[in-house]
Amino acid sequence: MFGHVIIENLVKTYLTRQRKGLFKSEVKHVPALKGVSFEIKPGEIFGLLGPNGAGKTTLIKCLTTLLLPTSGRAHINGYELTQQDNAIRATIGCMLMGERGLYWKLTARENLIFFGALYHLNPKDRRRRADELIERLNMGDIADRSVETYSSGQRMKLAFAKALINDAPLLVLDEPTNTLDVPSARELRAVVRDLNEKEGKTVIYTTHIMSEAETLCDRVAIVDHGETLALGTVPELKASLNRGAVIRIEGVISAKASQAVSNLPGVSQAATTAINGHNQLTVMAHDQQTVLPRLIETLTAHGAVMQKITPEEVTLEDVFIARTGRTLADDTRVK
Amino acid sequence: MTTTYGKPTFTQTLSAALAETRLRMLNISRYPGQLVLEIIIPVIFAAMPMLLGQATGGDQAAENFAANTGTTNYVAYLLIGSNVFTLVSAAFWHIAYWLRFEQETGTLEAVYLTPTSSITLASGVALYSITRGLFSSLTAYIIGCLIFQVNPFQGDVLLALLFIGFGLLPLYGMALLFGAVVLKVKESNALINLMQWVVSFLMGLFFPVAVLPPFVKAIAYLFPPTWMTNGVRSALLGTGFFFEKWYLDLAVLWVFMLFAPLFGFWVFNRTERGIQRNEGVGQF
Repeated sequence: MFGHVIIENLVKTYLTRQRKGLFKSEVKHVPALKGVSFEIKPGEIFGLLGPNGAGKTTLIKCLTTLLLPTSGRAHINGYELTQQDNAIRATIGCMLMGERGLYWKLTARENLIFFGALYHLNPKDRRRRADELIERLNMGDIADRSVETYSSGQRMKLAFAKALINDAPLLVLDEPTNTLDVPSARELRAVVRDLNEKEGKTVIYTTHIMSEAETLCDRVAIVDHGETLALGTVPELKASLNRGAVIRIEGVISAKASQAVSNLPGVSQAATTAINGHNQLTVMAHDQQTVLPRLIETLTAHGAVMQKITPEEVTLEDVFIARTGRTLADDTRVK
Repeated sequence: MTTTYGKPTFTQTLSAALAETRLRMLNISRYPGQLVLEIIIPVIFAAMPMLLGQATGGDQAAENFAANTGTTNYVAYLLIGSNVFTLVSAAFWHIAYWLRFEQETGTLEAVYLTPTSSITLASGVALYSITRGLFSSLTAYIIGCLIFQVNPFQGDVLLALLFIGFGLLPLYGMALLFGAVVLKVKESNALINLMQWVVSFLMGLFFPVAVLPPFVKAIAYLFPPTWMTNGVRSALLGTGFFFEKWYLDLAVLWVFMLFAPLFGFWVFNRTERGIQRNEGVGQF
C-alpha cells in the first residue's frame, strides 16, 4: 500500500579499516543499525530523532536504497527492499543531502526538469511540474538564475522542490529546515503539513529541533546507537516519563556538581548542556518539592553559581534525555 | 499522485539518457574556453613531433618516415594519431570525471535516488562525450591539415569514419571499467593521467605499433584504440591494415564491440553493489 512502511529487524554493519601504523591496518565492524523494527502508517508524519551517529541517516539511506542492509527486511509502498528497488525509488521523494545534490551551474528550473526526466516524467509534465513547484515555494524570482548564486536557504528550498518533483506518496526529509531562516522554515513546515493533510502524503521527517517534531509529527521514534529506544505519539512519549518533574538550572555548574546532583535520591536523570556561554543543568525528579531544596544545597556546596532556576513541563528533549542519558547535542558516533 | 509503478518504457529510458546528455552540454556551454582548448591542443601536440622530424630528418624526412610507416604524409599520420587520442582521452576523462565530480558535489547520491539506472546515466554521458570528442577531434584534424597544408579528405573517408564508429563502443566499455575503479578508490586525476599515457603509448600515438617490443605489441593488439587508430590511418593514408583486408580489421573491432561494453557494464554493476553494501556512493 502506498505510503506504508514496514521495517523488520533491519541490521546494517559497516566494515572500516582502522590504521595501526604506517602500513598496518585492521578491519573493524561498526554496527550502525542493530535490528530496527517499526511501522509507519499511510498518511502520517513520522519523526526520527537522535543525536549524531545514532543511525538515523543510515536507516534512511537503507530505506531509500542508497545502502544495502546487512540483514533484515523492509517494505516501502508495498515494494520489497533490495528486490524491487526501482519501484521504491520511483514512488518516494527524497531530500537527504540538502543543498548538495543540486547542479550548481544550472538554474532551479533546469535542475527540476532534469530530475523530472530521471523520474520518467514526459517533457511536458516535467516543465509543468517544475513551474508548479517554483510557484508553490515562491521561487519565481530566482528560478532562472544558476544555483551557485543562491543563498544556502534558497538552495535548501530547491532541494525540497526536487523531492516533490515526482509527486510521490512517501516523502523522506532529512533535516529539511537546516540553514533556513525562521520565516522560510515556517513556510516549509506549512507545505509539509499541507502535503500531508490535503494530499495524504506520508512523511518521514528527521530533525534535531524538538519543537519541530512536537508540532509537526504524529508519531516519533527516538533512535540511538542503532536501536529504537522509544516510539509513540508525542503525548504518549511525554507521559512515559511517569510522574516526572523537570527542573532547569542555568549558571556556572561544574561536572562534579552535576554528578553530585545525579546521585541525589529522588533524581532520575541529570544532564548538562552548554548554552550561550554558560551551562544548563536539566534535572528530572520524581517530586519537585522534595528535590529542589536538596538540589540547591548540593549545587551550592560544589561551588555552582545559579543564575536561573526554572521548573518546566516535560518536553520531547526531556524524554530523549531520560531514554538516552544524553542530549541531542552529544555525538554518539562509534569511535 | 503516483498510484502505480510500471517499468519505464524504452522511450522514457532514452529520454532520461538524453536528459543527462543535455545536462552535460549545458554545463560545458558555461565553459566555452574549455572547448576551444580541446581543438587547439591536438594540433600543438602533433606539431611537436612533426617539427622535430623535420629538424632531424631534413629533406629526407618524408622518405625516412615512409620506410617505417608506409606513408610519406607524416603530417596527416601524426594529426590522425593526436586526434584519435583526443577521442580516447575524452572517453576516459569524461566518464571518470563525471563520477568523481558527482561524488564530490553530492549529485551522485541524488541521481542514484531516482529510478533511472546508472547505466542509462552513463550512456547519456557517453553520448555527450562522443559528440564533444568527435566535434573537437574532427575540427582539430581539419584545422591541423589546413595549417600544415595537406588534404584532410584524402583516401577513403567513409571507411575511416566506420573505423571510428566501430571503435567508440568498445572504448566506452573500457572507460566504464575505468569508471568502476574511480568509484571504488574515489580518485580520478592521478588514475586518468597514468592511464591515458599508457593507452597513448599502446595505441601508437605517433608511431606504428610494429616498432614496439613483441610483448608490448601483443598487449597493444588487445586495445580497441590500437585497431581504431590503425584503421583510420590505413583508410586515409594506405599504411596497411593489421590483417591486410579492411573488413578483417573491422571484424576484430566488431568483436571488441560485442564484449567490451558488456564486460565494462558487468564490472561497473558489481562495483556499485559492493559499494552499496558498505559505505554507499555518497562517501567521497
